[in-house]
Amino acid sequence: MKTLQLFLLFISISVFSQKTLPKLSLPTLDSKTIQIQDLNEKDKTYVLTFWATWCAPCIQELDGINDVYEDWKNNNIEVIAVSIDDSRTVNRVKPLVNGRGWEYQVLLDTKQELKRNLSISNPPYTVVIKNGKIELEQAGHSPGAEKEFFEKLKTL
Amino acid sequence: MKKIYTTLFCLFSLLLIAQNDTVTKKKIKIYGGLESNAQWYTNDKERKIEHPEDPFRANSYLNLNVNYSRFTIGGQLESYEPTALLNYNPNFKKTDLGTYYANYKDKYLDFTVGHFYEQFGSGIILRTWEDRSLGINNALRGVKLNFKPIDAVSITALYGRQRTGFTLTDSDIYGINTDVTVSDFLKLENFKISTGFSYVVKDEKIESRTPPTYSNITTAYSTRLNLGYKNLYLNSEYNYKDHEPVLVRTFIDEKFIKPGNSLLLNLGYSKKGLGIDAVFRRMENMAFLSERQPTIYAPEISSLYFNDRILNYVPSLTKQHHSNLANIYVYQAQNRVAMQFDEQIEKFGEIGGQLDIFYNFKKGSALGGKYGTKISINSSNWFNLAADYSYINELGRYEPEYTTKFFKGNQKYFSDYNIEISKKITSNFKGNLMFSNQYYNDQYIRGIFQKNVIKSNILAVEGIYNFKDSKSLTIGAEHMWADNDRKNWASMSLEYNHNKNWSIFAMDMYNYGFDENIHTINEIDLFDIHFYNAGIAYKLGTGRLAVNYGRQRGGLVCAGGVCRFVPPSTGLGITLTKTF
Repeated sequence: MKTLQLFLLFISISVFSQKTLPKLSLPTLDSKTIQIQDLNEKDKTYVLTFWATWCAPCIQELDGINDVYEDWKNNNIEVIAVSIDDSRTVNRVKPLVNGRGWEYQVLLDTKQELKRNLSISNPPYTVVIKNGKIELEQAGHSPGAEKEFFEKLKTL
Repeated sequence: MKKIYTTLFCLFSLLLIAQNDTVTKKKIKIYGGLESNAQWYTNDKERKIEHPEDPFRANSYLNLNVNYSRFTIGGQLESYEPTALLNYNPNFKKTDLGTYYANYKDKYLDFTVGHFYEQFGSGIILRTWEDRSLGINNALRGVKLNFKPIDAVSITALYGRQRTGFTLTDSDIYGINTDVTVSDFLKLENFKISTGFSYVVKDEKIESRTPPTYSNITTAYSTRLNLGYKNLYLNSEYNYKDHEPVLVRTFIDEKFIKPGNSLLLNLGYSKKGLGIDAVFRRMENMAFLSERQPTIYAPEISSLYFNDRILNYVPSLTKQHHSNLANIYVYQAQNRVAMQFDEQIEKFGEIGGQLDIFYNFKKGSALGGKYGTKISINSSNWFNLAADYSYINELGRYEPEYTTKFFKGNQKYFSDYNIEISKKITSNFKGNLMFSNQYYNDQYIRGIFQKNVIKSNILAVEGIYNFKDSKSLTIGAEHMWADNDRKNWASMSLEYNHNKNWSIFAMDMYNYGFDENIHTINEIDLFDIHFYNAGIAYKLGTGRLAVNYGRQRGGLVCAGGVCRFVPPSTGLGITLTKTF
């Protein structure tokens, strides 16, 4: 009975869910700090991609976008790559980002606070923010889907 | 009856809240996620496997948070029905509220009452985290205060009791941590200097018939110094844990009291197109549990076997391969002392390092080709610590003792030299090539009598072809040449993405080299066998549903450098994730 009650309580609360930007700050690779709620430049689309140095599809996704990033920037889209590498692999983030020639802003979510806050289970996971609101979320990544994703972003 | 009314009342009041303007004006925010991992274990005649009692099981997690202005409350409902998946911590049973908390957060303060996750430094003296695939959730339940007066200074103080299953351990954990970015105060342009210091205290009552030979209080501290100058960086961390009885297999030896320490050095150079990173770690007797004596479930199987009641994070510093065959012989960090006279094994910790080089051959260059070529080189080497030791004291009684040498290693545990090349060959086709040479000293890694060293070479190739309309096909082939244990393997995998919602995959790992005359590491699946697996996944927005059927190889499954042993099984797996 206790199980059923708790379950019903949780499900009924979840029906009324709205997700918004958490008030959190994360360090960048240059040891500066970015406040997540400050990602609200007017009409700019922020694409937060959650990745890790051990997540091959994540690296594939970011390599794919890197090839066409100029087009994205011309459409006022900024990619922010949030690394969820913990202390085991966080030291590989900087050399990997530089070694692959990525131009993105990289945030280090070493304690996985942002990942937990957005209830993300596994990377790759993408959250699209525009004007302070979460416009789109996507779990997983398919190789070659960058074009389709780009078209979708332009319509937001 | 009363219970039904309470439930209805809760539901009704929630409906009222929903009608309220504050919710529709988005002042009250509700968010969370659902994850469910289910398995339907089946019989497998060829493997001589019979499904366990309760063949259909699921581990499910429902996480919910309610936020209003600076206040948030939340909890996680966990369900292990009818029992948890095979080989999970037996303390995870049935359904209950796993974690819950109330939090206040503003610009300077972050205060939590309830369950919380925290990490000091690299986590070698304190880390609490959740990893569902490993069945780890060692959150502390108590109070935590983070104070950040300015960007350059951060102070944390905490107290709690550790979660184990749906209950708490009896010991009290206290901790304090500070991190200061010194260079911000000195206003240095190209120089970056930061320091950190942590202090952790564990207070666990000692149940002993004789006067205890050690204190009920165990302290640990960590000091860190990080330097950065333009493209160079050097990070260092030293940890010390005070005297505590050593865990000999599954029992603590109250006559064998030793301290522990670890030294971590990380040096690197990084600029656009090139990244180099080197890590050195020396670790001695750094097991840190909230209950010194683990609970024994069966011979050699204790709560520690399930990563239960651990206070710290000691990951293996090796490369995570995404190739199937390169994950067969996985190294586990050796943080414990083991002096086993019968097996003639003496381990005191580990010493070694890892090197990573990432390089991008630019587009148009000789080796870059039309689209550029990316290379990753990695090597890791791990050894036992060299030490003078004895089992008998001057009076001829059994009293193990050791003194380690600081920078000297002894028996080699593990090495992995590997290279990965990634190249876009045409605008629609991309190729990856990986080669790894591994050395795995099973005898020392597991602390057993049987001398067993496996030297292997693994080659993996992968091609990704992108069709029109976001369709893509990935084909992979791998081969392992091994001189011992199960010998050679071959593997093939296929993944087809139909569009951004649907994808299917199939893979097979075939141990064709199996030789029944060789004594293997694990006495399971003792024949040349195919480990096949196939599945389908559907993604829509924040949700994902995946179903797969196949054979799970018995062995280590590792996440974040921490491993758990997965028993051999065959069956259907279902995974559902959704965030809201």
